[in-house]
Amino acid sequence: MSAKRASTLSALLMGASFAVFAGTAAVADDVKTITEWDLQTTPAAVKVIRDAADRFEATHPGFKVADTHIQNDAYKAKIKIAFGANDAPCIFSSWGGGPLREYVHANQVLDLTPYLDKDPAFKDRFLAPSFGAVTADGKIYGLPAENSAAALIFYNKEMFAKLGLTPPATWEDLLKVIDVLKSKDIAPFALANKGKWPGSMYFVYLADRIGGPDAFAKAVQRKPGGSFEDPAFIEAGKRLQELVNAGAFAKGYNGLDWDVGAARRLMYSDKAAMELMGVWEASIIRGENPDFAKKLGFFPFPSVPGGKGDPKNVIGTMGDNFVSVSASCPYKDAAVDLIKSITDDKAAAGRLADGRAMPLKGIKIDDPFVASMFDLIAKAPSVQLWYDQELPPKLGELHKDTTQALFGLSATPEAAAKQMEEAAKEELK
Amino acid sequence: MVDISAREAVGDPRPPRRLAEDLAPIVFLAPVVLLLLVFLIYPLMSSFRLSLLSWNGLGEEGKYIGLANWWRLLHDGLFWAAARNNILLAIFSVLIQLPIAVVLAVVLDNLGRGSQLLKILYFLPLLMSSVALGVLFKNFYDPNFGPLNALLEGLGLGNLAQDWLGDTHFSLAAVIAVICWQNIPFYMVLFLAGLASFPAEISEAAILDGASEVTIFWRLKLPHLKGTLRTGALLAIIGSLRYFDLIYVMTGGGPEGASELMATYMYRSVFASFQLGYGSTVASAMFIIVTVIAGISLRLTSRLETEV
Repeated sequence: MSAKRASTLSALLMGASFAVFAGTAAVADDVKTITEWDLQTTPAAVKVIRDAADRFEATHPGFKVADTHIQNDAYKAKIKIAFGANDAPCIFSSWGGGPLREYVHANQVLDLTPYLDKDPAFKDRFLAPSFGAVTADGKIYGLPAENSAAALIFYNKEMFAKLGLTPPATWEDLLKVIDVLKSKDIAPFALANKGKWPGSMYFVYLADRIGGPDAFAKAVQRKPGGSFEDPAFIEAGKRLQELVNAGAFAKGYNGLDWDVGAARRLMYSDKAAMELMGVWEASIIRGENPDFAKKLGFFPFPSVPGGKGDPKNVIGTMGDNFVSVSASCPYKDAAVDLIKSITDDKAAAGRLADGRAMPLKGIKIDDPFVASMFDLIAKAPSVQLWYDQELPPKLGELHKDTTQALFGLSATPEAAAKQMEEAAKEELK
Repeated sequence: MVDISAREAVGDPRPPRRLAEDLAPIVFLAPVVLLLLVFLIYPLMSSFRLSLLSWNGLGEEGKYIGLANWWRLLHDGLFWAAARNNILLAIFSVLIQLPIAVVLAVVLDNLGRGSQLLKILYFLPLLMSSVALGVLFKNFYDPNFGPLNALLEGLGLGNLAQDWLGDTHFSLAAVIAVICWQNIPFYMVLFLAGLASFPAEISEAAILDGASEVTIFWRLKLPHLKGTLRTGALLAIIGSLRYFDLIYVMTGGGPEGASELMATYMYRSVFASFQLGYGSTVASAMFIIVTVIAGISLRLTSRLETEV
């Protein structure tokens, strides 16, 4: 009641004031709110979004952006409920791939192709492959927003130097590094695999190094000879278990929770030397522990003997998060303007200052650390999207479940591959 | 209604009052019936209906597949493993929580007014949010930094130190321990309330007759609490069969499904693998299992009560 009375009062006051204000003064009831959900939770990343929203509000009088920032795993459930209940936010983030395509096929996502065709200058700023994860049936449903996120092996440079170690380029070198670290009672890898996706990165890299990106593509597209029982996937499982048996992972890895920083804590306390993780980890570490960030180095995933995959390939995503507009949004044109604001050059500069590089052509990165990470991604012959995001949700879950079982040594590589292939036969027709 | 019009026909002088009396129960029951209809009966019916669909929960409703989801459920090892975990949780909840709660309640009751501070302290775990508690105990169990393993090693029991949440053998037990710790205060309060109605004269008389505290407990107080114990056991069983939150926060049902419960499995089916139809089947099966087990325990305990 009182809020209503106040707004009526202010409307009256505005009406009575100078005519100059008439154009901009919006009565409270007329404000059009655009809801925006993302999973950025660090202050710097949230600020980039909020600044973009402010720019949008300045050029779109009468609109207000209600931005909501939600923790990773909670976000995945919340967005699903919102769509299921026909209460989706106007703008939402995703990783593209299988889950986004589920929404697209349910006609819940706005096709951005006509908007991008109208503004080719905007579209052509992005590196072309970055639209791959958000393309379905030749149409584009999202804009690459946050980062060019490949998984790399981060390591403690100081510790490596002290022990006379160098970043391993091959599998044998990696096993030697693991031996040395073990002999010093240091866990080679920090892994927090409760959520299962961190462990999946090892499997995806191994499969990519052994069979090349084709092995996965053929299995997904059900092409002749394509199978999740391909020797590449079975060998990937074997190599993974070879690491487990060599004691490569810190104690408790299958129960530790990445979302609460369980893996980084191992790195900070010198209990672990390396972590395979997306490049966002570097940005988090810089915010969380600037002293440790000075010791942080990275190297690409090592090659595997006899592997068909190019060791310059990376796994990850060019975009990390993609922003999309939901089909139920009442202000579609404005919402598209807002996601363009979220992915414009100013936003890109803000993210760059936070150590994250959007997949843009000719992006100028001053920070040498970020520049060298981005360089690896830009030069990669192939960027394999995370399996759990590329696959349809049911298969993606199964991939994570079977990989966690490989880590727990309770499934053989053959059995895990068989389970995947049987489910794929049902799901991918 | 027929009654009223008949009365009107013979010219009953007080029809309005009779009408009010007839309407009263309807008016008083309407809100609760309405709430039950909206929040219990309707969702229950629709989840049974959804369990017959193959649907990812987005957009157009999925296609009708009859009992295929139920057939799949019957052969789904993961579901039955989860149901087994629920039953383990129920058994251990009753065996651990109730005895400790009874002992605490009796001790606090004997201490009388001096126990006020202890009552508050013991009650605290129940007031904490499960999510905060889950994060707290994740750190407690952490094999690299956690105080539990550090304590065991400090006591020279290093070989007992385990990977509590990451090892398939321990993760369920580790979470059950926290669930018990959280819920004991609830039953303690329940039993304290039960003991409040225990007449002081009886224990005074028993003391005069030379009965020890232990005898009073076994012979008088425990039989007095029989009804409350039955309620407590039922609540513990039903609560365990529907349990979700600490498991979700601490292990997510893992590793490798070792601590999966029916409710976390349902959640995963719906929200992670986008199978709303099958998830609804799991939810409906959960409803049936909980109802059947609750019914059996009610019958069993009521027979016990009459036999004693």
